[in-house]
Amino acid sequence: MTITMSRRAVLGAAGGALVLTVSVADEAMSMSERQASFTPNVYIELLPDGVTQLTVPRTEIGQGVRTSLAMLLAEELAVPFSTVRVRIADLDVRYGSQMTAGSLSVRSLFDPLRRAGATARAVLIAAAARRWGVSPDSCYAVDGQVRHPQRGSLPYQSLLAEAATIDPSTVPVRLLPREQWRILGRPQRRVDTHDVVTGALRYGMDLQIPGTLVAVVARPPTLDATVASVDDRAARAVPGVRNVVTIPSGVAVIATDTATALRARDLLTITWNQPRLNADSRTWRQELMAAAPEPTQIPSGGEVFRATYQMPMLACSPMEPSNATAHVRPDGTVEIWTGSQNPADARDRAVATTGRPSSRITVHVMPTGGGFGGKLFDRAAEEAVRLSAVTGTPVRVMWTRQDETRHCLARPASAHTMVAVLDGSGTPIWRHHGVATWPLTVMPFLNEQFILQDGNHFPYSVPGNVRLALCPAPLPTGFFRSVYSGQFVPAEELFLTAVAHRRGRDPLQLRLDLLRNSEQARLRRCIEEVAEAAVWRNVVGTGRGMGIGCMDNYGSRIAVIADVSVSPTDGLRVHRLFVAVDVGVVVNPLGVEAQVQGAAVDAISIAAGAQLTVRQGAIEQSSFRDYPWLRMDRMPEIQVTIVEPGESTPVGGVGELALPATLAAVGGAVHAATGVAPTGIPYLNRRD
Amino acid sequence: MQIRVNRRLVEVSAPDDTPLLWVLRDHLGLTGPKYGCGIGACGACTSLRAGQPIRTCVVSLAEVGDAEITTIEGLSDNGDHPVQQAWKELDVPQCGYCQAGQIMTTVALLARNPHPTDEDIDEALSGQVCRCGTYQRIRAAVHRAAELAEEER
Repeated sequence: MTITMSRRAVLGAAGGALVLTVSVADEAMSMSERQASFTPNVYIELLPDGVTQLTVPRTEIGQGVRTSLAMLLAEELAVPFSTVRVRIADLDVRYGSQMTAGSLSVRSLFDPLRRAGATARAVLIAAAARRWGVSPDSCYAVDGQVRHPQRGSLPYQSLLAEAATIDPSTVPVRLLPREQWRILGRPQRRVDTHDVVTGALRYGMDLQIPGTLVAVVARPPTLDATVASVDDRAARAVPGVRNVVTIPSGVAVIATDTATALRARDLLTITWNQPRLNADSRTWRQELMAAAPEPTQIPSGGEVFRATYQMPMLACSPMEPSNATAHVRPDGTVEIWTGSQNPADARDRAVATTGRPSSRITVHVMPTGGGFGGKLFDRAAEEAVRLSAVTGTPVRVMWTRQDETRHCLARPASAHTMVAVLDGSGTPIWRHHGVATWPLTVMPFLNEQFILQDGNHFPYSVPGNVRLALCPAPLPTGFFRSVYSGQFVPAEELFLTAVAHRRGRDPLQLRLDLLRNSEQARLRRCIEEVAEAAVWRNVVGTGRGMGIGCMDNYGSRIAVIADVSVSPTDGLRVHRLFVAVDVGVVVNPLGVEAQVQGAAVDAISIAAGAQLTVRQGAIEQSSFRDYPWLRMDRMPEIQVTIVEPGESTPVGGVGELALPATLAAVGGAVHAATGVAPTGIPYLNRRD
Repeated sequence: MQIRVNRRLVEVSAPDDTPLLWVLRDHLGLTGPKYGCGIGACGACTSLRAGQPIRTCVVSLAEVGDAEITTIEGLSDNGDHPVQQAWKELDVPQCGYCQAGQIMTTVALLARNPHPTDEDIDEALSGQVCRCGTYQRIRAAVHRAAELAEEER
């Protein structure tokens, strides 16, 4: 990481702004991106009006980065939190990766933003000390001012010009010790809530650029279907329809407004070539089950116990469906507005579609109504670029909910063969995990190694091995919150619970027995904390029970206990959920709690029946009616305990942390409630 | 055609069967009500018609009649309606996309039932999907809004 400093003129303000630029490489970057990232990708501007503007190459998808990143800077810069404004950067090739994924935003910027803030603070102190003719050591900074016991105080705004003349490498930069933190680790409400509750926050869907036409696309009714012929006479006759254009993804209707476009789309008569009418997820399920690798050799010396598990296909279904606005101009420039987790993808698609160089393409990153992994590949932006190239006007492409569900990049299904050798007391002394699934077709370069690395987080002291088999999916596959951890971890945890119940052992105690080493202490403590919070009881077969699930991932630890009932009339109901998380350094406890609750709601929804199925060549589900996400009447009380580890523990990720462990906890509770070991997810009403 | 939206009489030129959602968003520039599903299944577009919550994506322009329509933009001048205050105090939104619908549904709930129980809240709000899973804070915020409204009376 490197930090440089400069001055920028600000209209009507003497002295201008003080600008710090920071070059940050992060774990999500490829080697070439890391090298490119010596160009600054984070900008901090101290403006003459006392506002500090922070520009970051990350997307706000609801995870609260605009709040947490402002906290990091405000703390070390020693300015009031309310004076920091976070701006989401437009895509810029010099920034390196602008991807928001992998629970990495805070992890990748935790040190750089604090160090940048501390550098600016040191420079401002040096400037004040010089003006006062005192030693910098006798000054300190607080609330956007430099203070001296005798000389009084100078606001940062009065020091910007002087500060800009100081070489930051000549001042001593010291990060604040944790006991001096005033902002980090304390509950901080979100900066954007006022705009949300007044309807003022403009998402990509809400853009109002004059002259914009709206397009919706009639998409293939079955997988890989292509347009054979179109009769668009009725659609074109609708007043307000400007054009009907066949594009690779279907037939687009372009109109002056959304209602007109939707009405006209329904009037299209399209004949499709449908090569994949036989695609059926039941066939894939059988292939996956057959492909899940068996152990080649099982050690002798104990009882061999085995089980198999199935994990479903899923759609991300963000609340705001995919959409993007593009303007392909005659002067060769292309401007795109999109709420993307990965704006580089929109640029790359625009380059491929128009043949124009990436330097002529601007991507504005909009706030977006949820991502969950579903906004990494910007097919809507590609469509908007294609259509704007035809109309010459700005075009917004809107996907309907049905489009978003039936044409999603599905989280692949998987099958898991688990084998354990148990000693005389029922403790597993060897394990085998055979996984069959399929890579993410959107990232063909991510192969078996990626799947194993992403899925493998077995934290317990049981030697053994994991083997992977690939088995082609009948549809395109993509990211979903927690990615392969959401399959591997529930399978392993369900199996461990089944191992415990096999000999009447307590599933929670068995986990503690397998976490005796010092490097397992953080997870062990989460289990102990959650057991106490939930008043853990191991009762089997009464219709209501508790289950536990754990994970060590993203640099964090989590243990979850679910209290669940299963009945013929009420189905699967999660009554209470207890979560203990150790995320290393806590930036914003309110944010941690929100992310944990959100991912837990995902898990409960999936456990209770949200899943995709393919019949006769198409995804069957199309909306929240048949792909049911949890609603208020099934929402359990979720109690989140934050476990604080020692001083030297680095900051961990939280966005994806709670999903796998909650799925496991609910499954363990279903096992306890019913006395029957689950064989996969969803736990009730599973369809292949 | 003229309709009443947020205490103003506005002229709209659109076919009778146009869903109110698109009249509000595309014709009147009121983008607070959101498109989530278009079939009345998620509640993101919920606004009030004569104080009652309606799914504007499945209510046509013709069905509006003389009734006053209130969108999130018309709820208060400064974002200080008790429900909005409670949402801010309890830090409810994550992505925020569904929250206009959650808030408008809550406004109608509190108007007919100033002190709802958890069961009342479940019944009133179970039509509103929050894909981020903010339900626990929504529930707390509904109770808090009831308190704030009581204090204002």
